[in-house]
Amino acid sequence: MSTPARRRLMRDFKRLQEDPPTGVSGAPTDNNIMIWNAVIFGPHDTPFEDGTFKLTIEFTEEYPNKPPTVRFVSKVFHPNVYADGGICLDILQNRWSPTYDVSAILTSIQSLLSDPNPNSPANSTAAQLYKENRREYEKRVKACVEQSFID
Amino acid sequence: MEPFTQNDGNHDELIIQQKRDIEKEISETTPLVSEQLPLTCLYAEYSGDEIFTAKIQDLSKKYKFIRRTRPDGNCFFRAFAYSYLEYLISNNSAYQEFKKLAEESKEKLVQLGFPSFTLEDFHETFMEVIQRVSPDNPGGHSTVQDELHKIFNEQGYSDYVVVYLRLITSGKLQEEADFYQNFIEGDLTIEAFRHLEVEPMYKESDHIHIIALCTALGAGVRVEYLDRGEGGTVKAHDFPEGSEPRIYLIYRPGHYDILYPN
Repeated sequence: MSTPARRRLMRDFKRLQEDPPTGVSGAPTDNNIMIWNAVIFGPHDTPFEDGTFKLTIEFTEEYPNKPPTVRFVSKVFHPNVYADGGICLDILQNRWSPTYDVSAILTSIQSLLSDPNPNSPANSTAAQLYKENRREYEKRVKACVEQSFID
Repeated sequence: MEPFTQNDGNHDELIIQQKRDIEKEISETTPLVSEQLPLTCLYAEYSGDEIFTAKIQDLSKKYKFIRRTRPDGNCFFRAFAYSYLEYLISNNSAYQEFKKLAEESKEKLVQLGFPSFTLEDFHETFMEVIQRVSPDNPGGHSTVQDELHKIFNEQGYSDYVVVYLRLITSGKLQEEADFYQNFIEGDLTIEAFRHLEVEPMYKESDHIHIIALCTALGAGVRVEYLDRGEGGTVKAHDFPEGSEPRIYLIYRPGHYDILYPN
């Protein structure tokens, strides 16, 4: 059955294939258009460079009126990523706009990797190191980048 | 601010789940837009309350019917759209003018910087709804009226209409940011306000939303305020000030419904 959410997700997918943003990719899982797998490549000139971070995106029938639930499957050491992979990003919560699509979501998460917001931390250790000991922060991030090759 | 612990993710999810349960209950018991009901049905909600009873009495001199909307935070936009289309389907020239304005609105929003790919999705649905309630329908007025009611109770269509009106409102705020900045309390920028209070669904509307939307569409709204204020009469306010109202709404703290003048 085609619902507004499913119709819109087909459009999102088509756009992502025809006009793919740099450094991100995503596609619905084989038998369920409401669950997507995605990959974000660590942005250049950041400690995340060369990492390939996997995510899942779960939509409800209320998409795009409500945001999907996005989670990192790969382990990510970042001030705004929870231990379970959940992401603390305003556009996925109180600043969600129905005009965002999957492409916009993934590129926003990609820029979050480059520019963490240590003032609303989901991982307080990462936030603290980011603010106070950048070298140690980068070391911990690089360990996840290496881990991301194996995952 | 207290630093978050790592458990907060789960805590948030519990709150979100609880919120979803409440929303589900409301959606299962209240239609998005009700049938027309006698205004006097309001008495039952305030039985024993002298202030409200006196005010409903006052209001019933001017209005016979009310149409309720679901209290989901979108009530202003949904009530506005329903009431305005109801007016337009009986006024063909105003309908044609509005259709043209709606047609052109997409290009304007794209110029204001809205992403055209996703905007298109909402605009197409919005235009489809307008087309489906055309006063030219050979079935006549009652067929169109039924169609309007049906569309507004189909979640997919109804919500997309709300989204599109939210985007028009947001666009207007951006277009005249200097003016609307005066209405915003605290140090929130117009940009932040649009993203926090206008574009997200289920966010309640304030005067600023009403003024921006009415101005953008050139549609007059009269809002009757039924509250605890003194005087025994219901106060009305017209948006934009001095305009001739086409849409009549009743506001009770936190909620808008549609009114039908005598």
